[in-house]
Amino acid sequence: MAASPLLGGAVSESLWIIEPLAVAGAGLLVTGLVVGFAALAVTIRVGKPADDTGTRRRWSQMTQHYFDVFGHDMGRPIRRILGKERDVRARLAESKKSVDPAVQELLDEIEQQAPTFRLMVSNIQVLVQLEDEGSRPQTDPVAPAQVVRNVVDRYVGIGRERGINLSWWSEPAEFGLEYCDAAALDHIVTNLIDNAVRYAGSQVEVRLTRNPTHFFVRVWDDGPGIPEHFLPHIFDRGWTPEVASRQERTTSGLGLHIARTLARRAGGDLTVDTVVAGNPAHHTAFTLALPRVNPDHASGNR
Amino acid sequence: MMTAARREKVLIVDDEAGSDLMNSVRRKLDREGFETVVVHPQSKLASGDDFEAEALMAIDTVRPSAVLLDVRFGDHPDDRFKGLGILRKIVEKAPDLPVLMFTQYARGPQRDTAAAGSLRFNSSVDFIDKLASPDEVALRLRRLIGRTPELIRIGDDYVVDGQAGVVYAVRGGERSPIRSVQGMKFSILLELASAWYRSPGELVPFWKLERFSEGEDSRASLRVRVREIKDALGEAAGKKYGPADLIVNVRNRGYVLVVPK
Repeated sequence: MAASPLLGGAVSESLWIIEPLAVAGAGLLVTGLVVGFAALAVTIRVGKPADDTGTRRRWSQMTQHYFDVFGHDMGRPIRRILGKERDVRARLAESKKSVDPAVQELLDEIEQQAPTFRLMVSNIQVLVQLEDEGSRPQTDPVAPAQVVRNVVDRYVGIGRERGINLSWWSEPAEFGLEYCDAAALDHIVTNLIDNAVRYAGSQVEVRLTRNPTHFFVRVWDDGPGIPEHFLPHIFDRGWTPEVASRQERTTSGLGLHIARTLARRAGGDLTVDTVVAGNPAHHTAFTLALPRVNPDHASGNR
Repeated sequence: MMTAARREKVLIVDDEAGSDLMNSVRRKLDREGFETVVVHPQSKLASGDDFEAEALMAIDTVRPSAVLLDVRFGDHPDDRFKGLGILRKIVEKAPDLPVLMFTQYARGPQRDTAAAGSLRFNSSVDFIDKLASPDEVALRLRRLIGRTPELIRIGDDYVVDGQAGVVYAVRGGERSPIRSVQGMKFSILLELASAWYRSPGELVPFWKLERFSEGEDSRASLRVRVREIKDALGEAAGKKYGPADLIVNVRNRGYVLVVPK
């Protein structure tokens, strides 16, 4: 291979990254197809007669199985792409040579899309699960602070790359256990923080609190806020601000819809308060409220 | 490269331990001061049972501080959840040994099966999915192991030595002590650095830091000390830190350490 005038011979050999990128493109195409299939599947299900519950249940389980296999198989090429990208990044860092900004941008884009991909696959899986009328939320002893901590781990580095400080705290400091669906809580908090890091100016703050009946996760960002005419739509399935402005979509628009559905299914809610740019106090804050279940009444399934 | 005095060993049990993705995790752990040891069964066609035998042997010979364990060992039906079987054996053998399960089942019934398997054991077991960044894997291992090292590296610019009570500025691979950060100021910095090491982004409330300040208005005294720490660290690295840099006051509730970009 000819040496790159910008990067030198050793580095230009790394440009086989183009091939994995083609695989990434194919991956995104397949993801698109799956989203389409999910929508179609749901439409078909809605059209089915209500008394055909046995068939519907089997169909639902089959769909769920299909998406599990899909999620698993899709993980493989994505892991390969990510592995190559991180390898190239490490070799570039070791060579200490200046890197063409376009190459750096490409590597950053792959790295930044990884959590989006991760969330998209898991959003689709949750969506399928939610459509399964036979599935019920699980109730486990969960440390909400641990859930927030793990999700912040994932986004603190992404935020830092974008110049955003992500911080969190709980009141009381030792928050202890609550009884709820651990996977649902993790999923809701992930979607809210993903959203906040996407739109924040420079700060995202996550606060965990409780009162005698509920516990709350509030995710606040200092972004431009949500215009009033968007508010009725933000929890709609498939809605993103890009849809309204007819721009290229960067997310699936499933996150907030799924988050609110999960919250309500658990007997809680997800609400938003926002002040739009123009006011110095502009911000957006989503508050998740989940009921505090008495452990004696919890239906532990593990 | 800066390493802790004693390198914690992490045993990697994964049939794809040589993949680029796993290499990036190993590279990160190495930079963090961990020593990674990979389990290598002798046969190239090793089954899940071979990995199990080698892993159990390595726990005796390597004496790791934690294990990074794959859930799936190939496509054979017996090996799809082999990692859970290996986990059970590890827990029987070394109940206190933290295990981080590396899985691609982010959600769904298979993940629930995997999680339910882990919850049967009263041990330090956690799950992380394979698309997690190396930083995330390192953080989860730090928490599972639960020990803060003597040397905490803050980005590329500083090293906090908790044992010696000194913070160093690092420039061009050379360390030079920042002598003006001592006593209570060092204690404040160490508290913030230790919290950041275990859980970046987690606020350290005022009440935890005010014991390192004095005077009638301990909050004001704390504010002055934090300002002095930021100035001293900034000067040593040739930087000027503003309110949203290095040590940030959040909502008048506490401080959080933010690693310089």
